[in-house]
Amino acid sequence: MDRNVCVIAGGMSKWGVRDGSQRDFFQEAAKACYDDNPQLNPKEIDGLLVASAYTERTSYQTHLAPLVAEYVGIQPKNICARVELLCASGSSAIILAFAMIKSGQADIVMVAGGEKLYTPQKWEIFYSELASVDHDWDGGQGLGLPPPVFAMVAKQHMLKYGTKKEHLGVVSVKNRRNSAKNPKAQFQTPVTMEEVMSGRMIVPPLTLYDCCPITDGAACIVLAAEEMAKDMTDKPLVYIRGTAQASVNNMSANMPNWTTWEALKIAAQQAYSKSKVDPKEVNVAMTHDCFTISEIIEMEDLGFCKKGEGGFFVADGQNDFGGQVPTNTDGGLLGCGHPFGGTGIRQGIEVTRQLRGDAIQQVPNATIGLTHNLSGFIAAHTVLIYGREVA
Amino acid sequence: MSTPGISILDGKYMVTMDLFPQQSKEFNQIYKFYEYLKEGRFTTTKCKDCGSEPFPPRVMCPDCYSTNVEWIDWPTIGTVIDVTEEAVGVPLGFGKPPLVHALVDLDGKKTFFVRIINCKTGELKSGDKVKLAVFDVDPVPQEFGREVINIPRVFYAFEPVK
Ligand SMILES: [Zn+2]
Repeated sequence: MDRNVCVIAGGMSKWGVRDGSQRDFFQEAAKACYDDNPQLNPKEIDGLLVASAYTERTSYQTHLAPLVAEYVGIQPKNICARVELLCASGSSAIILAFAMIKSGQADIVMVAGGEKLYTPQKWEIFYSELASVDHDWDGGQGLGLPPPVFAMVAKQHMLKYGTKKEHLGVVSVKNRRNSAKNPKAQFQTPVTMEEVMSGRMIVPPLTLYDCCPITDGAACIVLAAEEMAKDMTDKPLVYIRGTAQASVNNMSANMPNWTTWEALKIAAQQAYSKSKVDPKEVNVAMTHDCFTISEIIEMEDLGFCKKGEGGFFVADGQNDFGGQVPTNTDGGLLGCGHPFGGTGIRQGIEVTRQLRGDAIQQVPNATIGLTHNLSGFIAAHTVLIYGREVA
Repeated sequence: MSTPGISILDGKYMVTMDLFPQQSKEFNQIYKFYEYLKEGRFTTTKCKDCGSEPFPPRVMCPDCYSTNVEWIDWPTIGTVIDVTEEAVGVPLGFGKPPLVHALVDLDGKKTFFVRIINCKTGELKSGDKVKLAVFDVDPVPQEFGREVINIPRVFYAFEPVK
């Protein structure tokens, strides 16, 4: 059996510094997802994959999937498990749901991801992030929080390719302008280039608006086999065309290259090939803008522009509306925030809306969309390609 | 010691809140790395079958999958490629800002992104030499039957060669 797989519903809770618990946010996200498609009967969902990275540390809860199933009112019979790949947990779970449906192991799978990261005392999540890298080696060097890593990436990229601080600023201004129009986003106000350039110093050259925040929230998406999807939605069908995920190293000492992300190039190549898509054919992209420099390198390593020209590409408006590949049209991580397990799902929801034609800020006639996550110490890369037609 | 909100944990050791790795042989088969570190040596495991020298050290060669490995010394002096200084957001346990990190070429062995200690803001630049710096960290109170013994621990950073 080899079936086509479609997105039939998606929704998210409000993201930000939220009142409430992890289980509250999963219910809010499920409600938004059910409201997105009233024709979907949640009782027919036969699989649930839950994406959450810090559930054990900040919510003291393992065995999360059956808990979420109980709270969102479903009784999965083909799969009910949690998937974890830190910042890429959500997109990893979508890949697995896609594979299960494609192969006939499940028919309708909900992918729910989210986190409650803010604890009653804020130091705890920052401290707990020492688990995000190789704890015994990089954690002990104080590298759990990523700003020093991405500051080094930015410095090296600037040195090698002439990327400027103003190029980073263009990404912040664009993504915050987009998030200001997205009521679910953490940041509801735009920022000016002047504000960005005079932002508080975090790790030079990165200032406040170069860094995505810590975020509470959740998101849900439902995938179904094409033949069932046709009866469950009046909206245009959005297909997952192809996916890939690659890792070539974990500990910092094994990074093959700081300014070209080898695993991203591998994942992108695999995803393009399986999807029968050329980078130039991508109409809209959600890439992992955990830091402004990340989005710039992603433009290069995803093949949207030449290596080293990412800064100039974004400064030229080529990844904004009207450009070659509008990117992070919902605000990205810099604007929406980043509850780790929720992010890949948020990206899937925005790409689905863009391809259905009902996005808040619509890219005209978008037929092919891409999502990308990086995770850990830039240690794994995940790429999914969606389309109005199958590959 | 007191743990607000959880009175039953007063005085208890929590491995889940520890910044640093377990270094006793009961909890870590590469405990020799830390024993050598105490002697000022920076070591890793070399595969006796294929000659591979991976880092971090490990019990199995990642190249030929042999478990026939031996400890070897690596250089303790490296050259700075570039430096970062974290002004805001230094995690608990890593001192007052700035927290300095450098990308260090360890004499061609590996490029390490490591913490630099004993270093003032703006002091370190590309091309400078740095050397291994070993320091004590909190011991772990480990149970042996009914006894609890404090296991001393060390960790490493690098520091400018003056
Ligand atoms: Zn070997």
